[in-house]
Amino acid sequence: MAKQLFVDPKEIRKSGKITFQDIPVNQYNKTIEEEKANFSTDDFMRIFRDMAIIREFESMLYSIKTTNEYNGVQYFNPGPAHLSTGQEASAVGQAYLLGTEDFIFGSHRSHGEILAKGLSAIQKLSDDELMDIMKSYFDGEILKIVEGKQNSVKELAIDFLLYGTLAEIFARKTGFHRGLGGSMHAFFIPFGIYPNNAIVGGSAGIAMGAALFKKVNRKKGIVISNIGDGSLGCGPVWEAINMAAMGQFDTLWEDEFKGGLPIIFNFFNNHYGMGGQTSGETMAFDMLARFGAGVSPTQLHAERIDGYNPLAVIDAIRRKKKILEENKGPVLLDTVTYRFAGHSPSDSSSYRTKEEMDAWMEHDSLIEYRKKLIEANVAKDEAFEEILANTKELITKICRMAVDETISPRMDLVKVPDAIEKLMFSNQKIEKMEDRECDVLIPKEENPRVQQIKKKIRVGMQDGKPVSKARVYQLRDGLFEAIIDKFYTDPTLIAYGEDNRDWGGAFAVYRGLTESLPYHRFFNAPISEAAIVASAVGYALCGGRAIPELMYCDFIGRAGDEVFNQLAKWQAMSAGVLKMPVVLRVSVGSKYGAQHSQDWTSICAHIPGLKVVFPVTPYDAKGLMNSALAGTDPVIFFESQRVYDIGELFHEGGVPEGYYEVPIGEPDIKREGKDITILTIGTTLYKAIEAADILEKQYGLSAEVIDARTITPFNYEKVIESVKKTGKIVLASDACERGSHLKDMAQTISELAFDYLDAPPVVVGSRNWITPAHELEEFFFPQADWIIDAIHEKIMPLKGHTVKNNFTDNEIIRRNKLGV
Amino acid sequence: MATPVIMPRQGQSVEACIISKWHKKKGDSVKVGDILFTYETDKSTFDEEAQVEGTLLEIFFEEDDEVPVLTTVCVIGNEGESVDEFRPDGQKAAAEAASEQPEASAEATTAPAQDVVNAAPTAESAVNAEGRVKISPRARNLAEKTGVDYLRVQPTGPNGRIIERDIVEAREKGLLVTPSARDEYMKSGVGAVSGTGLGGRITTGDLAAAGTAGTAETAQAAPATVSAAAPQEDYVDVKLTNIRKVIAKSMHQSLSTTAQLTLNTSFDATEILAFRNKVKNSMATLGLENITLNDIILYAVSRTILAHKDLNAHFLDDKMRIFNNVHLGIAVDTERGLMVPTLFNANKKSLNEISKEAKALINACQQGTISPDLLKGASFTVTNLGSLGIESFTPVLNPPQTGILGVDTIIQRVRVVNGEYQYYPAMGLSLTFDHRAIDGAPAAKFLKDLRDNLENFSVLLAK
Repeated sequence: MAKQLFVDPKEIRKSGKITFQDIPVNQYNKTIEEEKANFSTDDFMRIFRDMAIIREFESMLYSIKTTNEYNGVQYFNPGPAHLSTGQEASAVGQAYLLGTEDFIFGSHRSHGEILAKGLSAIQKLSDDELMDIMKSYFDGEILKIVEGKQNSVKELAIDFLLYGTLAEIFARKTGFHRGLGGSMHAFFIPFGIYPNNAIVGGSAGIAMGAALFKKVNRKKGIVISNIGDGSLGCGPVWEAINMAAMGQFDTLWEDEFKGGLPIIFNFFNNHYGMGGQTSGETMAFDMLARFGAGVSPTQLHAERIDGYNPLAVIDAIRRKKKILEENKGPVLLDTVTYRFAGHSPSDSSSYRTKEEMDAWMEHDSLIEYRKKLIEANVAKDEAFEEILANTKELITKICRMAVDETISPRMDLVKVPDAIEKLMFSNQKIEKMEDRECDVLIPKEENPRVQQIKKKIRVGMQDGKPVSKARVYQLRDGLFEAIIDKFYTDPTLIAYGEDNRDWGGAFAVYRGLTESLPYHRFFNAPISEAAIVASAVGYALCGGRAIPELMYCDFIGRAGDEVFNQLAKWQAMSAGVLKMPVVLRVSVGSKYGAQHSQDWTSICAHIPGLKVVFPVTPYDAKGLMNSALAGTDPVIFFESQRVYDIGELFHEGGVPEGYYEVPIGEPDIKREGKDITILTIGTTLYKAIEAADILEKQYGLSAEVIDARTITPFNYEKVIESVKKTGKIVLASDACERGSHLKDMAQTISELAFDYLDAPPVVVGSRNWITPAHELEEFFFPQADWIIDAIHEKIMPLKGHTVKNNFTDNEIIRRNKLGV
Repeated sequence: MATPVIMPRQGQSVEACIISKWHKKKGDSVKVGDILFTYETDKSTFDEEAQVEGTLLEIFFEEDDEVPVLTTVCVIGNEGESVDEFRPDGQKAAAEAASEQPEASAEATTAPAQDVVNAAPTAESAVNAEGRVKISPRARNLAEKTGVDYLRVQPTGPNGRIIERDIVEAREKGLLVTPSARDEYMKSGVGAVSGTGLGGRITTGDLAAAGTAGTAETAQAAPATVSAAAPQEDYVDVKLTNIRKVIAKSMHQSLSTTAQLTLNTSFDATEILAFRNKVKNSMATLGLENITLNDIILYAVSRTILAHKDLNAHFLDDKMRIFNNVHLGIAVDTERGLMVPTLFNANKKSLNEISKEAKALINACQQGTISPDLLKGASFTVTNLGSLGIESFTPVLNPPQTGILGVDTIIQRVRVVNGEYQYYPAMGLSLTFDHRAIDGAPAAKFLKDLRDNLENFSVLLAK
C-alpha cells in the first residue's frame, strides 16, 4: 500500500501489450589477441593457475572419498563432498574482478567459488593487509600452522586459504570455522566469501539480505548469490529475486537509495539438479536466462554466458557490476557449465550418458583455455605443465597437513565439553551495531504516536476498576516504545514485513512509525515469508540488526527453512564468527480458524539456536523487546492478537516510561500462592488467573500463577522453588497438547522436583484438532474450568466439584489411540 | 609394474559391493576406458573402467561375490608379472569381512538387551511399592518427617493415592508412630495397631502387643477351622524388593563361585575397651567421643592388612589384583537390606577420620542417599554382628574380594595367668577367605597380626 501510487482504472483497463527485449545468449566472442589489451601474460596465466588449483583440490577430494588416498596421503573422510570439477572457469572468471568488499554466497557445491574468490582477494590485497587478516583471524591460530618456507606473503596466504578451507571440510578445529560448518558451509569473511549453504537455493534470500544491508547502510560492493539451476525450482529463490527487484526501490525509496538491490543472482547452470535434468525435464524455462524476462521491466538484465570460458565470465561480471553500481540491479546470470563429477562421489551418473560426459570433457576449460593461450603465444606448453606440477605439490602439502591429527586436531569435547554449547548463542549486549547518526524523519518526541502514548494511563486497573481501552497503555504500546527507541539508537536497525508501513502493521503495533522513518529503514515486504526471514539473516550476518515480521505465527511454515535452518544455525556453524541480531516478530492469531490461530512456540523451541519469548503483558512486552533488541541472538518474538489491547494488570506501578529490560529466560510469578502452582505460556495466563480466583473462592485453595514469558532459554529455579512449596503443578498453554513444549517442561519438573511432588505435573493444552471457528474456541483452547477439572481429576479431588471435561486415564488412552 | 584395481567406495554407508558382471576375462588385454566389471551397491549400479592399459593378469573375485570396498578386485599389468603382492588374502578377507558384520550387529543387539534386563527389576520394584501403598513422594516425605502412620491414612488422591493433604489430616487426627517403632511397623504392614504412646503414637510396645494378640487370635481360631476345611491364606506372599533380589543373587553367586572358608579366633579386648572409654569421656571439643569399637577394628584392619597383600586383593580368575591402598567395605544393615559402602584409602586416614567417614557412609545408606559410586570398589570388607550378640559366624565373601572379616560380640572368657583363673573380655573375629586366592596359614597369620595389633592398640596408634 502506498497512497502515492494511484491505481488508475483508466490505465489499468487500457488495452495494449507487454514487450520484451532480447536476452543475450553466449554473445562473447573475443579472441585472446583482442583480450591482450585487458590482460597481461601474468593475468592470463594466473587465471589458468587458479583453475588448476581448484581442479586439483577437487580431484584430491574425489580420490580421498573413493579410494581413501591421495598422492600417498591416506585418509578416510566420512563427510560430504559435492565437487565442482569441470566448473572451474565459471568460478575463476566470476571472482576475477571482485574485491573483498564484494560478497559471494554459495551452495553445497562451492569449494571452487571459495578458492577462486580467495585467490582473487589474495592477488588484490597488499602484503600488509594479508598479514593483518591472517594474524587477527582466531589470533593467528591458522597462520601459525601454515607458516613455513613460503617465498612471499601471497604464497603464504594461498597456503592459508587452502589449508583453512580443507581443514574446515575435514571437520578440524583448525578450519575456518572450527570444522563446525564443513564442506557445504565453508566460508571466510575477510576475503568477502560469505556462507555457502547446504539447502538448495538457501543462499538466494540471504544474499539478497546482504545486498539490502549494503544499500541501506551505504556500503560499497556488490553481492553475488551463487546457486544452481535446480534451485530455480524453489519458491524462496523466486521470492528473493522478486524482493530484490521490488517496485518501491524505484517509486518510493528516497533518491539516494533508489534502484533495485546490488545483487547478481548467478545460476551456475550445470544442467542437473542432483539427477534431475532442469532444461527439458524438471523445469519449464528451456533456457534459464528466460526467467529474468518475467520478473521486472529490466528483465533483470538477464543473460546466458559461457561458463566454460573464463574470459567470457569476466567480461560479463565487468558489465553487470557496472549495472549494479549504477543502482539498476538486480541482475540474473545463467552461467552455463558442466560438472564432470557426480552430484556426490556415490553418484553413478545413471541419468546421463558417457557420450555426453565425454563431449563436455572435450570442452574442458583447462584444456581449451590452455590451448588458446599457447596458440596466441601467451606462453609455452611447459609453463602450463609447471603450473600443474606445482599445484599438485601444493595440494599434497596442504592435504598432508589437514589430515594430520597433531597439526589439525578436532574439537576436543572431552577436555572442553562445552565447546559447541557455548557457540549456540552469542549472548552479547550491543546497544548499536554501528556508531553513527540514525536516519530518521523527525525527532522522536515529535512522533504522533509517542505523543499519544504520553497521555495514556500506564496501569491496567485504577481504583479497583479497569481503565478504559481508549485510555489504557496497551501491550502494543509497549512493543512500539521499545522498537521506536531502538530506531533512534541503532542506525542499522530496519523493520519490514507485510503491511508494516502506512497501515502500521495489521495489529497497529507500528502505527506512527511511518512518520518517523524513511523507506529504507521501514518498508512493506512482498508476501514472501521465506524472503522476509532469509533477508533478515543476510542483513544480520553482514553486521546489521533487523526486525522482520510474519503477520501470523502460522506463516512460519512458509519460512520453515529460513527460521529453522538459517536463522537458528549460522552463529554456531560459523564458530561464533557471525552474529544474528534478528528479532522475528510473529503474531498468534485468534478468531481466524485453523490456519490463523496456532501457538507454535513448541515447534520453535525444538530447534537449537533460537531464543523464543512470548510476553503477554505490556510490562513484559516492552522489557523483553528491549532485551531482544539489545542482544545479538535470533529471537522468535511471539505476540498474541488476543491481548494487543490489554493493560498492565500485574506489575506494580504499571509500565515504566524509561528504558528497562526484562531478562530473556526468566519466568515471572504473576500471583503468589501456596497450595498449587499453575505455569502458563502465552495468554493462557489470563485463564489461569481466572482459575486461581475460582480455586480461592470455591475451594479455599491459593494458587501460585507463573508466566513462563520465555520458552528458550528457561530458568527452572523459580518454578522448582514454587513446586517445592506447593507440591502440585498444572501447566497450560494454547499450544496443541501433543508435543507441546509444556510436556517437556513437565518432564523436567518431574525430574527436578520428584520428591516434592504430590501428583505428576499435569499439562492442559489445546485439543489435537484444527482450531475451529471463534464461536467454538472454548472447546478447543484451555479454559479456566479445564484447569480446575484437571486438578480435580489428576492432582487433588476438590470437594463438591463437578467436572465438565474429561481428564481421566481412560480418556487419555482413548484419545492417544485415535491420535486426536 | 602391475596395477591393482580396487573396489571404489561409493558413498559412506557402503561397506561392500557386489560384482554383477565381468566384462573382461583373465588374460584379456584392456585399454584405458574399457569397462572391467559392473558392480552394485544397494542403491545403484556402476561400471568400473580401466585406468591403465595392459593385460588383465588376475581376477580375485567372481560374479556375485561381495567385495569389501577398497579391496583389490583384479590386477592389470604386463604378462608374466607377479600379482601376489596384490592378492587380497583370497576368500579369507571376504569371509572375515562377512563374519565381522554379524558379530558387530550381534553386539549391538545384545547391549540394549542387557539394559532391558537391568532395567526390568527396577520397574518391577516400583510396581511392588505401588502395590503395597500408593502415596505421592511428597506425602511420603511429609509422613516420615512428621511421624504420621500413613498405613492408617485414608487416601483421597486420584486412583486411591495418598496425597499431601491426607498426611496433614492424619497428623491432626494423631495417627502417629514413634521413630523407633516406624521401621518394623511399616515393614509389618499391619496397619491396625492402636497407639498407646505419646499423642496416640504407636510404639514398639504396641507392636509387640499386636504381635501377641495376633498370635493369640489365630491360635483361638485354629481349632474351629481345622474341622471345617484347610485354613486359607495362612501365609503371605511378599514379592522380593529389588535390593533383596540383588543380595540374593550376589550371595548365591559368592558361595557357588568361590572356595570360601572361615577361621575363628578371639582376642583380649581389654585395651580397646579402655581406649574406647577414654575417648568417650574425652572433651567434646576434641570431637572424638563418637569413636566406636567397630571404628577401632576398621582402623586396625587398615593398618594390618597391607602386610597381607593377598587379602587386600581381588581374585580375577587368571590374575590377582593387589591393591596398594586399603578400601574397606563396611556392611550396613538398612531397612531396605544389606548395603556395603566403601571407605576408600582407609590406610591413609586417622582413626578419627575413619570414624567420621564410616558414620557418614552408614548414615547415607540408611537414608538411601548413598552414591552408587560409593557402593563399589572395596578391596576388603568388615561386617559386624557383635552388637547383636553373635559369638561366631561365617561371613559371606563379596567377590572378587578375597577376604571378609566378621566382628563378633565380646564375651567373658577365662584364662590361666600364673596358675590363677582370670576373666577377660574376649572379642571374636571370623575371617572368611577365598582358598583359591590364599591358603589357610597366611590367612591365619593375618588374623594373628590383627589380634596382636588390637591387643596392643595404643602401640599400633603410635606407629
